[in-house]
Amino acid sequence: MNPNNELEYEDMIRKTIKIINKLGMHARPATMIVKAATKYRSEFKIVKSDMEINGKSIMGVMTLAAEYGSELELIADGVDEEHLIKEISEMFANKFGEE
Amino acid sequence: MLKVGNMKKISVKELYELKRKELSLTLITHPKTMQGEITTSFLNRPGLALAGYMDRFDYNRIQILGETEISYLQSLSEEVLYSNLKEVLVYDIPAIIISKGLSVPKQIEFLANELMIPIFLSRLSTDKLFNSLRIFLQSIFADSKTIHGTLVDVFGVGILLTGKSGIGKSECALELVERGQRLITDDVVKITSKEDTLIGSATNDYGHYMEVRGIGLIDVAKMFGIQAVRMSKRIDVQIELMPWKDNMDYERIGLSNNFVDVLGINIPIIYLPISPGKNVAVIIEVVAMNHISKLFGYDAAKEYTRKLQIDLKRKSSIREKKLDEPE
Repeated sequence: MNPNNELEYEDMIRKTIKIINKLGMHARPATMIVKAATKYRSEFKIVKSDMEINGKSIMGVMTLAAEYGSELELIADGVDEEHLIKEISEMFANKFGEE
Repeated sequence: MLKVGNMKKISVKELYELKRKELSLTLITHPKTMQGEITTSFLNRPGLALAGYMDRFDYNRIQILGETEISYLQSLSEEVLYSNLKEVLVYDIPAIIISKGLSVPKQIEFLANELMIPIFLSRLSTDKLFNSLRIFLQSIFADSKTIHGTLVDVFGVGILLTGKSGIGKSECALELVERGQRLITDDVVKITSKEDTLIGSATNDYGHYMEVRGIGLIDVAKMFGIQAVRMSKRIDVQIELMPWKDNMDYERIGLSNNFVDVLGINIPIIYLPISPGKNVAVIIEVVAMNHISKLFGYDAAKEYTRKLQIDLKRKSSIREKKLDEPE
């Protein structure tokens, strides 16, 4: 990681993930995501079908009402986008510590 | 409702399930005939096609048969009727709807079953059927998108508040609600274009909830009463809240208007710098009142500058007169 390399944060990162925890994205995981995302300076968006919301807003994330098995696209843009995407996708992979 | 890329469509089955009551529809062909998809919000009356003129036949639209078409068909001899109908029904028509509950020649039913085209009977008049169906299809095919923002109704003016997370959109909306204005939705706004206006609403039907930093979720309708909320609103002005920057070029007089393109429709946008201790809610009410005032034909900025110009002209003419006078 070289923070001075402009090319690195000129383009955004997109990553598609699947919700694998049975309860889906309820209040607690939504809070975890928002809290994690707000630590970073990058802009963070989540897309579900035709809905695109701000991943740093709790109402936004809960509005997705993303159920078990649904797919989301994470989009981060900024200096620390890679770290953001890494942390968030790990949360999904770890089922938000559920089960 | 599906959305594949930019192509929107609705299956005939979905249309039937959603609208059978409102349009009082009965399927007269075999249920298997409901297999197609509707890909356009336009409707067609196939009068000319039934008469044999097949150029420019919009077969991909729902075909509406009214009294004119049916009585024309009834006037035909059986052989001509059969061949004319066949000519039309070989096209891949999504659905045919016959208005006023008119009885149809048996051949149509037979051919439609053969060629897998669903025919519905509606008890509505052609005009009413046309209108209801168009309104429904337009809402399906309308452009829409969700954005991060808060929508409030301020003195009847739909104001879309945007700006970075944490800038204070929700708090601002809360203060507006406290002052008697109404909230449509906080944080996520679904925008739909309808002819040349934009309509904003919530993306779900949970109610009017809002996150207030440090407190959590609150229910605005429960807390402030039902008069504090509404379901949807035309968006008139966008206000982008931004942190105050010393070197930023803010609008000072209000003669030039900025516009922003949302779904192909231009709406005025105001870049509003905010700083601690500034009452943003009052300023937003002022924006709304100024907008109404302009609609009524009064533009304070134009009026002031007009007065200034008159004054300047008057003063310079006095000055010229003085110069002309011999000393």
